[in-house]
Amino acid sequence: MKIENTKAQMRKGVLEYCILSVLKDDDAYVAEILDTLKDAKLLVVEGTIYPLLTRLKNAGLLNYRWEESTSGPPRKYYGLTETGKLFLKELNTTWSELQNAVNLVTRKKSNKNE
Amino acid sequence: MNKTVNINLAGIFFHIDEDAYQKLQRYLEAIKRSFTDSQGRSEIISDIEARIAELFSERVKHDKQVIGAKEVDEVISIMGQPEDYLVDDEIFEDEPQPAQKRKSSPSKKLFRDTDNSYIGGVASGLGHYLGIDAVWIRLIWLLLAIGSGGTFIFIYILFWVLVPEAVTTADKLTMTGEPVNISNIEKKIKDGFDSVSETVSDVAKNVSDSVSGAAKNVSNAAKKVDIKKQGNNIKSSSRTFFDAIGDIIMFFFTVFAKFVGILLMIVGASALIALIIGLFSLGVTNFIHIPGLDLVDVVNAGNTPIWLVSLLAFFSIGIPFFFLFYLGLKILVNNLKSIGNIAKFTLLGIWILSIIGLIIVGVRQASEHAFNERVVEKQEFYIAPADTLKIKMAHTDSFGNSYRNHNSFKFARNENGDRIIYSSDIEIVVKSTTDSLATLSIEKYADGRDYEKAIERAKNISYNYSINGNEVSLDDYLTTEAKNKFSDQEVDIILYLPEGIIANFSNNTKSFLNYRTYDGNIVSTKHANHYVKIKQDEVECLDCPTEIDVDIHNDNNGIKINDEGIEVKVDSSSLKINRNGVKAGSPEVKVNIDKNGIQVKSDNT
Repeated sequence: MKIENTKAQMRKGVLEYCILSVLKDDDAYVAEILDTLKDAKLLVVEGTIYPLLTRLKNAGLLNYRWEESTSGPPRKYYGLTETGKLFLKELNTTWSELQNAVNLVTRKKSNKNE
Repeated sequence: MNKTVNINLAGIFFHIDEDAYQKLQRYLEAIKRSFTDSQGRSEIISDIEARIAELFSERVKHDKQVIGAKEVDEVISIMGQPEDYLVDDEIFEDEPQPAQKRKSSPSKKLFRDTDNSYIGGVASGLGHYLGIDAVWIRLIWLLLAIGSGGTFIFIYILFWVLVPEAVTTADKLTMTGEPVNISNIEKKIKDGFDSVSETVSDVAKNVSDSVSGAAKNVSNAAKKVDIKKQGNNIKSSSRTFFDAIGDIIMFFFTVFAKFVGILLMIVGASALIALIIGLFSLGVTNFIHIPGLDLVDVVNAGNTPIWLVSLLAFFSIGIPFFFLFYLGLKILVNNLKSIGNIAKFTLLGIWILSIIGLIIVGVRQASEHAFNERVVEKQEFYIAPADTLKIKMAHTDSFGNSYRNHNSFKFARNENGDRIIYSSDIEIVVKSTTDSLATLSIEKYADGRDYEKAIERAKNISYNYSINGNEVSLDDYLTTEAKNKFSDQEVDIILYLPEGIIANFSNNTKSFLNYRTYDGNIVSTKHANHYVKIKQDEVECLDCPTEIDVDIHNDNNGIKINDEGIEVKVDSSSLKINRNGVKAGSPEVKVNIDKNGIQVKSDNT
């Protein structure tokens, strides 16, 4: 079992949630989403995001509109749909539960170790 | 100095170095391969292209700047390797995908591995495909070739022609079953360069070796030769020999195969074109009523619309020809894009359905003829024993058909303008009777799906005749309404004539009489236009030319007299007189009298 794989899986697991969260308040185009995610070190390479965006869009959680760009090709601005907002709300709950649970478990472990 | 390529990436124009372009293309290709269509491949790719275009435009300072390998590398490192694009489906997919399994063991394809070939690379290609060492495959080929008496040589050649050679790196990877991604392609290319450089140096070495070896051999045979080198030489020369022979054979077989391919294509295409024309000309007639052309419609007693039948026939014949055409094309174009399994199976399905349809139509059609029934109408009439009865056909030109042909069903309109069928399927049978009255019996026959239908159709046949004193006048056609369809309507006229009277069948009855007399029919075509006397079960022709036909013989002796001539045979002696001359012969002497004169040949010389 490679540590790299486990790490990547962990990251990928929360990626969908993070993408939806980035789009929570404002529509954004891919580079902006990428910047946020890269700053947070959630993404190493950009490629990963495209299949995810397409899947989220196909699932009806996201939609997009085209906007002209001055420096390159037209950009796709993604935004949350109503379903996407509901979905995100549920994920928020799940995430905080999970966070608590993980915290609880790991803290207990470290307490025991001491 | 570098060549550049102009590319359009997401609608933006870029100059790019050729090698950088190749790299980018391979990269995009590899990414494309890592998705399936169900994941929205084309959309993902266009998004990625757009992003790459954006990244490039960030790096291009002015219009004339060319994108080089460095920029492409940077972009690839930002975007990530194709492996990174593969999102772990198990985490995200709502339902487990069966396609997942296929991805984990990339599908292999059969190619010819010309890098490791002895002849055509078929064996090593099969080896890769089946995951067996090529040596075993070669051994099996050899055994099969010997065991089958050469059949497998032909099959080998077929493989050689039909299986594409692994040319590109992607081909080679698909052949060996390694997943196609950038790192593998690069590895493969590196391997390729190594092996090429090795081969080049090998060849160079071998050439110089063999040249010097040959020189040595010729000048000094006794000189010691490096055995190992020689062995290598033999192997390499066997390889080059087979390569050369292979190239030549390959060339001829390619030519031959292409020829066969062209032939198949021509056959397939022309058959298809003919069928399409046939389909339209037949199908169209049903929609546009061209008088006389809806004949087929009426023949179709089974009530199946003609367009359906022609469509079924079109599919059942056309689809095999289409595949023939496709096969021809496939032979011509090695890596022809497949028409796809869906298309193939759809066509196969349509074909099977058409065949079934045709069988059903055929059965229905046949069942229309299941019953053949008749309706009989009789009329007696008196004829004085001393009188001569005249029988003639009432010649009608009303339907413009004076020419008689059996089963000549025609289509016409009667005086009211209704569509009718008329046919001249009429037969005259003459029998003798001891009654004093003559009888004319009209028997009408028709086919039908069942007894009632057949009887009804037979009843619906209208046929006219008239008896006027000593003259019987018979129509030479029968008619029935078009709705009765062509169902083998037939009229038999049976004349029972009292013995002793004289009858004269006019010349126009000839084609309605039987060709020969038989039990129950005493007048035949040869009696037409003659006076015949009715006797018990036979007639005596009063003015027929006398016919001689004598044939008396036993095993060894015999005499034969007819219009051909006279032939007499006694033991081994014979005499023949005919229009060629006289021929006589016994064991000792032969006499010939003919246009060449008299010839006498005797054994007693």
